[in-house]
Amino acid sequence: MVTLTIDDKQVQVEKDATIYDAAKVAGVNIPILCHDKKLKPFGACRMCLVEVEQMKGRLIPACTTPVTEGMIVRSSTAPVEKARKLVLELLMLNHPLDCPVCDKGGDCELQNLAYDHKVNANRLSDEKFHHQIDYNNPLIERDQNRCVLCGKCVRICDEIVSRGALTFINRGIETKIGTEFDGPLSCEFCGSCISVCPVGALLARPFKFKSRFWALQKKASVCGYCGTGCSVTLGVKDNKVLTTVYDENQGFHNGQLCVRGRFGYQFINSEKRLQSPLVRKNGQLVEAGWDEALNLVVSRLKGAGNSAAALATPRMTNEELMLLKQLMTQQVGSANIDHSAGYAHTALTEGLFKSLGVAAAPSAITDIQKSNLLLVLKSDAYETHPVVGFEINMAVKNKDAKLHILSDKRGKLAKLPNATTLIHKPGSEVALLNALAKVLIDENLATAAASVAGFAELAAGLSAFAPEQVADQCGVSADALKGLARAYAAADKALILFPVGLAYPAHDAQLAHAAANLAILAGKLGKEGSGLLVLQEKNNSQGAVDVGFVPAAGGMNAQQILDGCVSGSIKTLLVAGENPLISYPNQAKVKAALDKVEFLVVADLFLTETAELADVVLPVCSYAEKTGTFTATDRRVQKIEPAISAVGQSRPEFKVYGDLISALGGQAPVTPAEAFTQIPAYAGIDYASLKADGTFASVAIKPALVLPVAPALQVESGKLALLTGAALYHCGTLSQYGEGTVAVCPEGYLELSHADASRMQIADGAVVTVASANGSVKLKARVSLRMAEGVVFAPYHFASSAINQVWTGAAVTSVTISK
Amino acid sequence: MSEAVAVTQEDEMEETVFDPALAEQVIEKYKDIPGNLMPVLQGIQDAYGYVPKLAVALVAERLNVYPSQIYGVLTFYAQFHLKPRGRYIIRVCMGTACHVLGAERIRETFYERIKIGHAETSADKRFTFELVACLGACGMAPLAMVNDETYGKMTVQKVDEIIKEYSSLPL
Repeated sequence: MVTLTIDDKQVQVEKDATIYDAAKVAGVNIPILCHDKKLKPFGACRMCLVEVEQMKGRLIPACTTPVTEGMIVRSSTAPVEKARKLVLELLMLNHPLDCPVCDKGGDCELQNLAYDHKVNANRLSDEKFHHQIDYNNPLIERDQNRCVLCGKCVRICDEIVSRGALTFINRGIETKIGTEFDGPLSCEFCGSCISVCPVGALLARPFKFKSRFWALQKKASVCGYCGTGCSVTLGVKDNKVLTTVYDENQGFHNGQLCVRGRFGYQFINSEKRLQSPLVRKNGQLVEAGWDEALNLVVSRLKGAGNSAAALATPRMTNEELMLLKQLMTQQVGSANIDHSAGYAHTALTEGLFKSLGVAAAPSAITDIQKSNLLLVLKSDAYETHPVVGFEINMAVKNKDAKLHILSDKRGKLAKLPNATTLIHKPGSEVALLNALAKVLIDENLATAAASVAGFAELAAGLSAFAPEQVADQCGVSADALKGLARAYAAADKALILFPVGLAYPAHDAQLAHAAANLAILAGKLGKEGSGLLVLQEKNNSQGAVDVGFVPAAGGMNAQQILDGCVSGSIKTLLVAGENPLISYPNQAKVKAALDKVEFLVVADLFLTETAELADVVLPVCSYAEKTGTFTATDRRVQKIEPAISAVGQSRPEFKVYGDLISALGGQAPVTPAEAFTQIPAYAGIDYASLKADGTFASVAIKPALVLPVAPALQVESGKLALLTGAALYHCGTLSQYGEGTVAVCPEGYLELSHADASRMQIADGAVVTVASANGSVKLKARVSLRMAEGVVFAPYHFASSAINQVWTGAAVTSVTISK
Repeated sequence: MSEAVAVTQEDEMEETVFDPALAEQVIEKYKDIPGNLMPVLQGIQDAYGYVPKLAVALVAERLNVYPSQIYGVLTFYAQFHLKPRGRYIIRVCMGTACHVLGAERIRETFYERIKIGHAETSADKRFTFELVACLGACGMAPLAMVNDETYGKMTVQKVDEIIKEYSSLPL
């Protein structure tokens, strides 16, 4: 610790602190423009100049100068004030004074500083800049005339996002911020640059001229897309969510968001939102009152027993899932409830439940930056959970964590410094992890786990998985596997990450067993910064598991329910927020089921492709309109409060299922708070004290080694291996309504390698037909360095080019491609 | 989004003449040395006479540096050129001594003869013309240089001689 004096106040700070950090501790406000707590010190703007007794004769930048023992700092002497005022005069010299029409007005750090320092006139005069404003993309406006060259956008894009889209161009007075060859911005559109821009040089285009900053109500909430559980602040005016507001103090991620979180909010007040219930009359869906619609549903559910079934989306709150479960299991008397196509949750409900004794991953997202070694299965972890990707970037770049990627295609993570990437043949994940486990056992790196239940059986069962035996079949050399196993065992704290979701059928219970085995064998569990993290697809995927929205004893899972619809054993199907027609595999089968089932009820925000087939459509609320809790992928329980009142006649599902329970003679919890107390997994968490940042539900593990079954996957000869997955810009099918996300990624595509493209003479952007035994779909080709020869990739979110016409739910589908 | 720099029509023309082999050689030479971006870019400029756009994409991929960052470096240093340059670089000094002794007439005469102004390159890529602030040989004013050759006490007649001399040399 170092002791120093700032403005006559004595403070003690860590020895690597800067004067600026120390001033913060002392409660002294030093003005800054280019400094950001998330970024490395830069010292570009000279606003933070201070006087230091021991360094007389010049002014010292507080944000880059480390503290020394006995330092005496003065932050607002006359020379300091004079220097700051000159800095502002120089900045304002070329900066246009167009504050009345600048969206940053009222939230602008330059404006505030000019006001604080009374820069009401300028002793200097010069021409304003005449840079062309970049309107080339739909989301981020770049107006270089307003730029103060603080470099925050350049730095955040490098240090946290690792995209490096922006740079300083030219030199001296001609310096500006731009892209390579000064072209249009082509990036992930996460908008991190906008969030840190102190002036109006970078603006969110969807929010332009929507509201003055001070007229917005700022409502804390939780992002409703993926399982990361990022805190967001919604900017609300006139009962409309107009933007997301950056708050650097929010959540574990310090307000950092991805493209969906920042720009995908528009679905909330979309014109496409359902305004009233719909009931099918004479073959047409027509508007109806809630009473009429609910009465119809009640008449179908009453006494239906196991002929009724429900499929719910893990985007609903825990309390809503709780009520729907009660409705189905108690009032209706059906055990047939499930979510996520019945398989996307098996890594937890079956895999980790058997391996660790609990259907949850033991580690948290905050462990990533505390780890020494990250083993990431499938580079898609970046695409499915971009903010987790930022954490990985920072762990590797700032904390020197070693990154090992085991994937069937390359991704952005592979480009991180010192990342080791092993590209394997599609579908061989389990065999590879088994081989790693065998190395651990054979090389006596797993001695600590010898007493864990199942050790002997596992050791015997892995006999066929020696690295030399699986190398050819998996496409990874035996030496590389041994090296990885040794590195993993040697790391003090090692964390395994893998995504699960509808598009990742191979990330199932077997993969979870295989991953858990490694962590158990090498003794990586129970330590901070070490263990296992399963990245779940939806904002409340973990909640749906915790609530137990899975088939009750003897009940059917999602796939069996669909089969039941076809065979006639399921007569009434309630689909709450899922859009199986697009998101579940095998569209033909789903279509047959939805066509065949006697009565289909869909509760959704939109008239989705599934809802169009319904007999009754119930309009329900988005996360911005309801109260309740979501559980993030690391069992962080987060509370949400309504930011706006319900859109149209839509109702929170909590009310809808509560009313149905009452109508069927049951008693539902009256408030979400009451429902929350009935969730056993969250016993010990006080609902009233929950916040948007969340509280971790406890995960007590009881490790057991389970022998994973490695699937035998074979791509038919002469065909290509189709992998499904998520696109960076989308999450599930909801982002199809989040205008910003669609603006930058409007349609499905097929990624293929340069080798395959040139062999088949397919140009980038050409439309190709992808066909399997099941069907075909037309997609735009994207020739990419990410893909290995013989492997193609397609994201699954898009209704207009639904890959589930081709994909049957297999981990790897054999396809042909024709022009 | 594609990893490579977007390719426009102009670049496609470049692509037909861009031979990555030279750039690969340079990258290969420096690829394991820390801080290799500057020598690689200098080597590429030596090999091609300028830094082609496609070479930037190649360097970005091989050295794992953002293309934007490379562009930032290329535009920061005056030594790098992003457009093809002439075989012979004519530099005319516009410093004080040269100015007093008629540098303006020299500039004008060059322009009349080869029709290219400051930082421009002739269509046949024979000449690039540049005005410089001072070449540091004021005793020889007015001064011009062609590549590494210095021409002192410049006159209008000497301009014609220079152009004649270099026009007869191979491209």
